Amino acid sequence: MSAHTLPAEFADLESFVSWALATEHARTSKRLASSMEEIQAFYDRMSARVEAVTAYLNALPLDALPPEAERLFQMSLSLMEVANAVEMFQNPAVINGFDIKRFVPVEDV
Amino acid sequence: MQTVVADKRWAEKYPDIGTGPVAAEPLISPEHFELEREKIFRRTWLNIGRVEEIPNPGDYIAKDLTVCRASVLIIRGKDGAVRGFHNVCSHRGNKLVWDDKGTCKGTLTCGFHAWSYNTKGKLTWVPDEENFFDLPKCDLGLTPIHTEVFEGFIFIHLAERPPESLREYLGGVADQLEGGGFSQLALTGRYKVDEHANWKIALDAQNELYHLPFQHRRTIPEFCVLKDGKYTRLLDVRLFNHHSVYSSESHEGRVGPATEGLAAQFSLAETEYRLPRIGPFDFYTIFPNMALLLFRGVSHDFYMTYNFWPQAVDRTDWDIRLYFRPAENAGQRVGQEYFKCLLRDILQEDATAHEQIHIGLASRAKKKLYFQDEEMQIRYFHTVLERFYAEA
Repeated sequence: MSAHTLPAEFADLESFVSWALATEHARTSKRLASSMEEIQAFYDRMSARVEAVTAYLNALPLDALPPEAERLFQMSLSLMEVANAVEMFQNPAVINGFDIKRFVPVEDV
Repeated sequence: MQTVVADKRWAEKYPDIGTGPVAAEPLISPEHFELEREKIFRRTWLNIGRVEEIPNPGDYIAKDLTVCRASVLIIRGKDGAVRGFHNVCSHRGNKLVWDDKGTCKGTLTCGFHAWSYNTKGKLTWVPDEENFFDLPKCDLGLTPIHTEVFEGFIFIHLAERPPESLREYLGGVADQLEGGGFSQLALTGRYKVDEHANWKIALDAQNELYHLPFQHRRTIPEFCVLKDGKYTRLLDVRLFNHHSVYSSESHEGRVGPATEGLAAQFSLAETEYRLPRIGPFDFYTIFPNMALLLFRGVSHDFYMTYNFWPQAVDRTDWDIRLYFRPAENAGQRVGQEYFKCLLRDILQEDATAHEQIHIGLASRAKKKLYFQDEEMQIRYFHTVLERFYAEA
């Protein structure tokens, strides 16, 4: 991966670019494979920047985001994915959650 | 409309439904499952999907209905009409279409001997036809299934002559939802859940809010909690012929987690879009196995559907779909993702519980279930079930 995968003004998020994932299945899988410390670190940094990120993205056409912006967008989706882990469960997985092999997203967007 | 925080309102509104305990046996017995095949799933209108799944002529969806021992094909004809057929070739009975969805250029061809049908189900080609004996080709089209559409929701009825039209069957549900503009929302998320539980256990568990502050204490502990800051109280309950709806709201001051606040902020749009809701959250049970959930969104309302497809007495495919207004910008889409993930995580808590309830009930340690007033709509569902079981 190149050193600059995000728009320049969001260079401070570069170390979290592994959360730029295209599908819900991939984002959920990363949430479940991460430690709570990793999730918390991403959540803290991304939460602080997501309003600025959204303002930046909203100025662009949603269906034709440039690759750097698309990564930011996917990272914002990942923040939504991990929010419950931090705010509700204090655990990567849903407490008393279901086996995700039997709870499958089928129209993945 | 505002929630009246009182006890036993719904029994008062519907005194004929009763207040006594309900038998647990139908939830777990193989005998009832066999009854349901004929007396319920072949005698009611069943929701298969939505018209947006098959927007163009030649588009089709196919679904095996295990409980009906049938496979159903829904196809949009060259004339634009939506038709349903048994997904069975007229030659040797092979299943015609094997994939869940697809599109054809006007002809569906059986994989066994290439018998071919047009989008109206007519048999159009038989290879080596001259070598057959008096083949009544005109009578050998696909077997039609009664198929009707309400507000974009496709329903089928497997009876030879359905006793009532879909509109009549939906009755008061249709009165409330007609003209609702559901086609202006798009499928944004869909989950298939393979549950080791009876379909009615799964549906019953979703068909009330009494459990929210307990089972969902980690996720939505305050939602709809209006009685003494501890217990839920519904805004309204309406019982229809076969079906029901309950509606609810939360107290004005409810404060959600930080990300919910961000998601709400991102979801703001210049124009509002509203569904024909009774309250902020409406839950319809459309007999036998569908639920339709309407949600108040920040600017744009959204909705979900559940279809509980019985596979065996202790096995259910739970089809969950979420529909949002197409996002106008990235922020709105991010907001949708929050509410989608929240609902998904809540439903994971539920799905786990469905299986534990099935294990509990299957032990037959408990013969009766005691419903409180907030569970009136479940009691009514079991009343409707009994009505269908008892029919000749």
